[in-house]
Amino acid sequence: MTVNNMADPRRPNKIFRYKPPNTETNPTLEDPTPDYMNLLGMVFSMCGLMLKLKWCAWIAVYCSFISFANSRSSEDTKQMMSSFMLSISAVVMSYLQNPQPMSPPW
Amino acid sequence: AQHRCMGRYNDDFDDGEDIAEFDDNDFAEFEDVSEDPAVDVEKDPPPRAAPSSTPIEDDEDEATVENEDGQDEFEDADAQDQDMYSKYDNEEFEGYEKTNPSFKDTLIYREVPAHLQNSWESYYMEILMVTGLLAYIMNYIIGKNKNSRLAQAWFNSHRELLESNFALVGDDGTSKEATSTGKLNQENEHIYNLWCSGRVCCEGMLIQLKFLKRQDLLNVLARMMRPACDQVQVKVTLNDEDMDTFVFAVGSRKAMARLQKEMQDLCEFCGDKPKSGAKYGIPESLAILSEMGEVTDGVMDNKMVHYLTSHADKIESIHFSDQFSGPKVMQEEGQPLKLPETKKTLLFTFNVPGMGNTSPKDMDSLLPLMNMVIYSIDKVKKLRLNREGKQKADKNRSRVEDNFLKQTHTQRQEAAQTRREEKKRAEKERIMNEEDPDRQRRLEEAAQRREQKKLEKKQMKMKQIKVKAM
Repeated sequence: MTVNNMADPRRPNKIFRYKPPNTETNPTLEDPTPDYMNLLGMVFSMCGLMLKLKWCAWIAVYCSFISFANSRSSEDTKQMMSSFMLSISAVVMSYLQNPQPMSPPW
Repeated sequence: AQHRCMGRYNDDFDDGEDIAEFDDNDFAEFEDVSEDPAVDVEKDPPPRAAPSSTPIEDDEDEATVENEDGQDEFEDADAQDQDMYSKYDNEEFEGYEKTNPSFKDTLIYREVPAHLQNSWESYYMEILMVTGLLAYIMNYIIGKNKNSRLAQAWFNSHRELLESNFALVGDDGTSKEATSTGKLNQENEHIYNLWCSGRVCCEGMLIQLKFLKRQDLLNVLARMMRPACDQVQVKVTLNDEDMDTFVFAVGSRKAMARLQKEMQDLCEFCGDKPKSGAKYGIPESLAILSEMGEVTDGVMDNKMVHYLTSHADKIESIHFSDQFSGPKVMQEEGQPLKLPETKKTLLFTFNVPGMGNTSPKDMDSLLPLMNMVIYSIDKVKKLRLNREGKQKADKNRSRVEDNFLKQTHTQRQEAAQTRREEKKRAEKERIMNEEDPDRQRRLEEAAQRREQKKLEKKQMKMKQIKVKAM
């Protein structure tokens, strides 16, 4: 009878399923960047639309891109798409109302 | 007559320019012969039969109105004006001032607004913005791919070791059957998970590949100022029988200082400053936090020392604890603390070599570290404190628990008090809001009776305690 010197450490009967860590109890584990950027993006696009500021609208587009890049894969795509569309519409509306190019602040 | 007037108008205003707005010969047939012949003659002759005095005008079909007297027209402008105006009725020019346009003033060129100019250059800010966005998108795609390749390279080099040690390699928790998925869970574009389970001496092992945010251009730029490296974090959760009661940590000095402040259990059980491990032969760059000396002696056997010495640059922290509850939770004011749940855990954090500029080949160098993890799991199972050590450990744990209860005792009392007061206030409000006076009276009486009962109960209790004390 062959003796297996290196006993197989695997135990199929001792399998535990994966439980995603509960982020409510550990808020420090979560990265807040996508949520902040989402909020900022919405604020800037509202500013751009209401106050007709082109640079606000452009910053909103950047914010929504950054939020998308940092987002978790479990996150709702609808939220991402809505903020993205809002910022694009802010840019388009600003240019339709005032086709002049943006002037640099300096 | 009207057409002639228009022609003359143009002449008057175009005195400074050679070219007329339209070919006056088109209107030649409409001209009235009875009008001043001198003027007619000036307009009649076709441009082609013009005299050589104005050769430039000959070349153009729609030349100036004046052909023969072109030069004279410009020289005697003022005189000419007077002549022409005097021929018309005054009514024709109502409101028209007999001003002489000055020819000496320089022309003022008004700037055409930028958006009416047909040039892209005026939109340079917009082009800059779009270029920035394109750069961001390019970086996103490149960064995402790089992270994905690194993760795959890590998994390929570690797959064999993991599959020979664990019955379940890869699980996302969603499938009905507990079968190995055999691949990493992608949480993010920069974080990958792998859950392994089904082994002696442990419940399971969660490996997290925490890469840098290469997909976010802002992060890439920030890292140019502050270099950081990819990390691999391994968290082994153990059953109660798999580990004795002790708390221990070893790692880089900076990491140890940080963990001692951040981690709940290290803060409570390892009060001393991180000590050097030179006694055991590990490099000076590493420091040790331990509950008691016996634990350090037990963990630091030859093989462990060998692992630590040869891979000191890749080890950020190693943390063994039976009281692991994660980082300290910031408690809000007035909220009573609940004793945090603890779990027997081994936590390893490794730095991927390359300081951000990693290539998939570097993942192979992490394989010995995974061997160390497996070795530690088996070792911790065998490591048992002697009687003295066990006593000390038990004392420590009960001390921590008592401290906790004491700290929160006053808080819990206050919380209970406020809750009681809230209830009373709510009831009083309800009574006040009751419009029906009868009902009000009845509710008040009921409340009074309840108060009375409570007082009586308390008095009874006090009496009982007094009797017992005696």
